[in-house]
Order: sequence, then structure tokens, then C-alpha cells
Amino acid sequence: MKPFLTMLKIEWKLSLRGMDMVIFAICMPLVVFILIGMIYGSKPAFPGARFTFLEQSFGALTTISICAGGVMGLPLVVSEYRSRKILRRFQVTPVSPAMILSVQLMIYTLYSLLSLGLLYLTGRLFFGISLRGSLLAFLGSYLLVLLTMLSIGMLVGGLAPNPKIAGVIASLLYFPMLLFSGATLPYEVMPLGLQRASDLLPLTQGIKLLKVTSLGLPINHVVLPIMIMLALTTVCIGVSLKYFKWE
Amino acid sequence: MEEVIKVKNLTKSYGGTIAVDGLSFSVLRGMVFGLLGANGAGKSTTIECLLGTKKPDGGTVAVLDRNTKSQRKELFEQVGVQFQEANFQDKITVMELCEVTATLYKNAADARELLRQFGLVDKAKRFVSDLSGGERQRLFIVFALLPNPQVVFLDELTTGLDAKARRDVWKLLSDLKDKGVTILLTSHFMDEVEALCDKICILKHGQAVFYGTVAEAVASSPCNQFEDAYLWYTKEETDDEAISHHA
Repeated sequence: MKPFLTMLKIEWKLSLRGMDMVIFAICMPLVVFILIGMIYGSKPAFPGARFTFLEQSFGALTTISICAGGVMGLPLVVSEYRSRKILRRFQVTPVSPAMILSVQLMIYTLYSLLSLGLLYLTGRLFFGISLRGSLLAFLGSYLLVLLTMLSIGMLVGGLAPNPKIAGVIASLLYFPMLLFSGATLPYEVMPLGLQRASDLLPLTQGIKLLKVTSLGLPINHVVLPIMIMLALTTVCIGVSLKYFKWE
Repeated sequence: MEEVIKVKNLTKSYGGTIAVDGLSFSVLRGMVFGLLGANGAGKSTTIECLLGTKKPDGGTVAVLDRNTKSQRKELFEQVGVQFQEANFQDKITVMELCEVTATLYKNAADARELLRQFGLVDKAKRFVSDLSGGERQRLFIVFALLPNPQVVFLDELTTGLDAKARRDVWKLLSDLKDKGVTILLTSHFMDEVEALCDKICILKHGQAVFYGTVAEAVASSPCNQFEDAYLWYTKEETDDEAISHHA
């Protein structure tokens, strides 16, 4: 356990020094959240709704950080450590590849949880939002979405031949998901055609799950998204571990 | 005496180009062994095959009688490695890199004490990327010694060091040898090889052209000086022919 914690501590410091994740995983979700809060205030989500627009958006906004860490931060760091032969240096030490990867997974999990806590506190203190659904169901959905996004990131970082290509793939995944899955632009204000297209993104399914559980809506039609996300996660993790390369 | 490193008929080629061709040698415990030869002669490839970072095409290699693949973990508790190129994370300090490396080993040496021995203790808080070439080279020797190893691999040990630093490193390596540590090194400095190595193997095009002590190398060549003998052993055939044609 000690090697894990020491590596985590130092890699966390390095990540903070890099600043990218502080901006994209901590500051950006908070800014978008505050903006939506200021624009929609405590208006109901739709006439007659029991919850506010901001409450409806909360679940979606918590995935901005997951997205930044999972499909941007993680693949880039894994790919960079490989191409700069930092992994090769680890290869001639007793450390296992699983530990190096799990340290990175933990770092992006920490960023996401930090962002989640920050958004909830801000919403609670300044906009009077509350979690209407079951906390357990919400957290469960949250962890599932996190796991799915991280596994996609692991796959990209593991298979991309160099950081340049990893960067391109990461951008191709990150920006469409950020814009069109409802993470930033609310799904509810999208035209119907766009909503249909958006439904194809795994993150859209995750966000639906988060909305249902955070708002305490009846849990219908969630089995399929859950199955899809679990299957995707299993495949991504399996492939990335099987094809792990030190260099 | 126990054979700590064993190489038998090692062969390795890269896409048709033969890098190592039927190489055999062994290193006894407590010995300093020098692997010599021009750039591209197969020194680094031999080391990589020994460490398991490259897979031999033919022949067998063994370090401390362990398999580099199935017993990687146990093996690298006992083996320290300094690679030719230094690879490290962005924005990491000397002490952080020491800490994260030391934590990977069960019986790590005291990093601060090693930094002191190598004249780096006042650089502990500096970024590794800000060190001079010589300082970085010394730091990477420190990493090779951090595991308290029984066997140390040093690839181009003192390249980039000034005369004083080279002598200091020689002294430290002699001390290690006195403690029974086995050392395999590559070097382009023949004074260093003469001062440190008990036995050498000179490679040319992946084959051993000489295997024995420095004194034997001089004796079985037409030269009086070791450096001249080394050049005589590694001279290209085409030069020979050209000379004999003119003669």
C-alpha cells in the first residue's frame, strides 16, 4: 500500500503543477455550473416541474470533470509516459503495470470527486439545490459513468502509438461528448434531431442515468444504458490490459 | 564463484539487421565487467536482452538465475539499472523522483545519503530538467544504486561527466565492488575501463572479438597501450584490406 500512496502523492503533485486538469476538471465545470445557475436561477425545469432547471442540469454538469480526466487527461499521460520511456524505467523496477495505471486512475477519480463535491456545495449554498433522488443510486450511477469514461481513456492511452495520435483521438472523443452529450449544453434545449444523434454517445446514456437518480424520477428504461456502459467498460479494460506495452 | 550474469549464444536482430550474433559471456559475483565496442556494436541490445526489455531471438540469458519475465518482480528487487537516456516526468524534483523510485523497493537505500555521496544533496529541491548534463548523469547512477542492488547495469556510465566527477564515480564504484556488488558497464573511455574492469568483452557487429582481462587484451594484440589495442580489435575489415592492398 505504501508504494501506491507515495506514487499517488507525487503524481498528484505533478498533475497539479501541470495545471491542465485544475482548469478543465475543476474550474471549467464550476464556471459552467455558476453560469447556468445565474441564467436560469431557481426557475423550474419546465412549467409545473417539481425541480429547478439547475437541479435538472446538476447530474450532467458533474460529468464535465469525468470527461476531462477520463478521455483527455488519462490517455495523454499514459501515452506520454510510454513514449518518453518513463514506463521503460519502471519496467526495470519491481513495480507492476497495474499499479502504475491504478495510480493514474485514482488521480482522475480524485479530480472528479473533488469537482462533484464542489458543484454540490456551490449549488447547495448559493442556488438552494438539493438531491431529490436516492444518494446511493446517484453515487452508484456516478461511479459507473466514471468507470466507463476512465476505461475508454485507458484504451486510448494504451493503444495509441504516440502522444500525438492519442491527443487527436482524445480531442475527437472529448469535444463532441462535452458539447453534444448534454454535459455542458443542456440536452433539454437541443433540437430533436441533435438529441437523437446525442443518444448514441455513451456519455449521454450516463447523464440520463445521473439525471434520473439525482432527481428521484421513476427508474424506467435504465437497464439498457447500464448494460451498454458495463459492456463497454469490460471490453475497454480487457483490451487495454491485454495489450499493455511498456514502450 | 557464482555466475551472476550468464549469456549463451545470444542472438537478436531488428528486421533483418543483426544486432547481436551468437554472443556468450558470464560475469562472476563481485566482478566489474565491461562491455565495449563502437556505437551500434550491440552493447545496449545485449543489456536490454539481459533485462528483459527486449526479447532475444535465440540463445539464453540469466541474471541471478532468474527469468526476466516470470520473475521480474523478485529480480528487480536485486538489480539496479542506469539507462543511456534519462527518462523522467515533467516538473519533477530530484527528491520527488528519488522518493517515488525508492518506494518501489523493499530494501531501498537512503536516498539522501546517496545524493550526498554523489554531490547532489543541495540540488534535492531542483527540477530534474534544470540539472546540468553531468548532474543528471550522476542522479541516474543514484537511481541504479537505490535498490541496494546485488547487480548493477550502467550503460555509458560517465558520458557527460567532467574529469573530477568521473574520478569520484570510479571511487564509488570501487567501494561498491568491495562490498561484493556485481557491475556490468559499457563505456567509451578506455582509461575508465582499465581502472575499473576485471574482465571485458569487446563487441564488433554483434560478435565478441575479445573476451578476457585488459592485460590479456593488450598482450594478444600488437599494441602496448590498451586504447590502441581496443582500436585494433574494433578496426573495420575494409580498412585492413585497404592497408594491405597499399602495402
